[in-house]
Amino acid sequence: MGVRITGMGIVSAIGLSVAENLLSLRETRSGIAPMKFLAKGNNLLTGEVKISNEDLISRHHLKSSNISRTSLLGLAAAKEAWGNNQHNDQLRTGIISATSVGGMDGSENFYRDYIGKDNPDFRVLSCHDSGNTTERIAAELGISGYINTLSTACSSGANAIMLGARMLLQGKLDRVLVGGTDALTQFTINGFRSLMIYDDQWCRPFDDSRSGLNLGEGAAFLLLENEKSLSFSGNETLSYVNGWANAADAYHQTASSPDGKGATMAIQQAIRKSEISLSDISYINAHGTGTKNNDLSESVALKNVFGADVPAFSSTKPYTGHTLAAAGAIEAVFSVLSIQHGLIYPNLNFQTAIVEEGLIPAKRLQNTPVQTVLSNSFGFGGNNSSLVFSRNS
Amino acid sequence: MFYISAASTISHQPTFKNAGFSNAIEELEKGSALLNPDFKEYIDSGLLRRMSKILRMSVACAKDCLRQAGIEQPDSIVVGTGLGCLLDTEKFLNNFLTIEGLLPPTAFIQSTHNTIAGQISLGLGNHGYNMTHTQNTLSFEHALQDAILLLGEDNEHVLVGAADEYIEILDEIGTAFKLAPVTLTSGSSFFVLSGRRSETSMAKIADVETIGGVRDVSSQIDVFLKRNRLDRGMIDQVFFADNLISSMPSILKKSFPGHVEYLNYPLYSGLYATNSAFGLHFAIDKMQLNRGIRNVLICNHLINNNLGLTLVQSLEA
Repeated sequence: MGVRITGMGIVSAIGLSVAENLLSLRETRSGIAPMKFLAKGNNLLTGEVKISNEDLISRHHLKSSNISRTSLLGLAAAKEAWGNNQHNDQLRTGIISATSVGGMDGSENFYRDYIGKDNPDFRVLSCHDSGNTTERIAAELGISGYINTLSTACSSGANAIMLGARMLLQGKLDRVLVGGTDALTQFTINGFRSLMIYDDQWCRPFDDSRSGLNLGEGAAFLLLENEKSLSFSGNETLSYVNGWANAADAYHQTASSPDGKGATMAIQQAIRKSEISLSDISYINAHGTGTKNNDLSESVALKNVFGADVPAFSSTKPYTGHTLAAAGAIEAVFSVLSIQHGLIYPNLNFQTAIVEEGLIPAKRLQNTPVQTVLSNSFGFGGNNSSLVFSRNS
Repeated sequence: MFYISAASTISHQPTFKNAGFSNAIEELEKGSALLNPDFKEYIDSGLLRRMSKILRMSVACAKDCLRQAGIEQPDSIVVGTGLGCLLDTEKFLNNFLTIEGLLPPTAFIQSTHNTIAGQISLGLGNHGYNMTHTQNTLSFEHALQDAILLLGEDNEHVLVGAADEYIEILDEIGTAFKLAPVTLTSGSSFFVLSGRRSETSMAKIADVETIGGVRDVSSQIDVFLKRNRLDRGMIDQVFFADNLISSMPSILKKSFPGHVEYLNYPLYSGLYATNSAFGLHFAIDKMQLNRGIRNVLICNHLINNNLGLTLVQSLEA
């Protein structure tokens, strides 16, 4: 039983709206470049959203400038997804976001001043906690009631979509905004560098020479509606989310298991839930971060599930960077666009297949009917999620 | 209907492996300390060395719960945490702001909110659904709601809990925000929530609700009770957490009849974001000691904006 997707919103390195993102995808234009907004003069390659906090605040007519960039990005995407929908006492409306950094963009600046005894501004800490970043978005949209935030690193955004779908199917909500948001921070950049998985060069997912990820930032939301909500809104259905699953690797604190166990389980269970056959999967939007570990583990998982018949697949992270908690949501939007517009995105920077596995991703943009997309988001701590999107319920 | 088949708490009170604690404990005094069990009984000493407070508490409580319930693997693991792994977060901040060159990654790895649930699954070799909810003071209630959804799908037993840890800078932050002097503490409470009654069942969870951006607390309580076919006269106890505006006592006394007993659970657990999980264990423990208690409402209004309501019922109710 699929759940209807009737709205989408996105901000990423490749655009500040669904339309802008679609254009960049069609024109094969990546948004990864040396940092400009977070730290000028640092040549690290990141997928920054090309707008400052000041511009976001003024765009959304916000009264307070004490707000995390994570909330600002999330608000931009959530507003687009909400669109012209109206509030309605007869509908139970909720919002489920996901984030890994929360308000850390502000907190890390506070802490720098704090340890330097340089007049630290404690007020920014009111934006620190993850839940608060979602509450700010909800408040701006006039949503009260079920407001929730998940935090499971790189699988967070996918998990928010899954939870929203389950809340609808079990009759707890009538409509729900689901997605994720993460801003770039020194904290996460330094974190991934300390793990030695941050590539100085532009990332090359599934390529044998890959040596790490490029971080990105962004946000995306989907609006899910049940039949009752649809009877009020009359919204067009863009696509369905038909299958979902979350499985733990239980292998290591950060590395994915070499036998791809958790990933295999997530993919299999999501497809089983969708009741769609393996051969009907038109395209896979892979997690594909470009790290040695993920791309190998994910390749093993894909072969475990699909055997010799792995469908067309690609990672879109060379466009956007790895957007952490937003990734599952950003890539959900790309999956829906793939179905709506019949597009299979190329896996940029691919040249040579991984020696151990030999899988070859899509190398060029393809215009071809897309019925069903599998989207993977595999996180730190072995938290693996897969979603199945389809044209039909 | 959902059954609590195990409960385990590490706190500033003698709660761990101490069924019946609810009648023995008193309100926390200033200067109290976290009462740690012998963690080596639950965690390998090599791992233990690198584990922060919040991780060791959670893993120990989780394992204790599974032993109590007599199950090896829960179907899912769901955790709530308000501020996550603060010790490692602060450690990594210090690291990258002060160390030149290569940074040690351990603090970064352990700073992510889902390390708690992840570490539990790692320790058990559990491959089930693994989720972390972080909605500040409602994180535990959201985890409970997720657990209830899972039991309505295909799960039999869900390991569900919440934890938050205290670090010194929180005192300074409290002062800077002009919060009334309160005892900031750490705590971890885990439960096994099951779809069927068993010999280890302690109580029932009938319903959980979370209201963000709450306006009329009293009428929300009314709606919640009505939905569960109860009126205020049928409630025996209300465990509540009050916000700094101290509105709860007047709201409660106005709404509930005279016989209802009120318990301000943060006075026992100390203040941390997810202390409503302590409140739940407190309520369940009291229920074991007094078979006359049938319906208990937990009213979490720890911050003004958010309301969490949990209806706990005795097995006979």
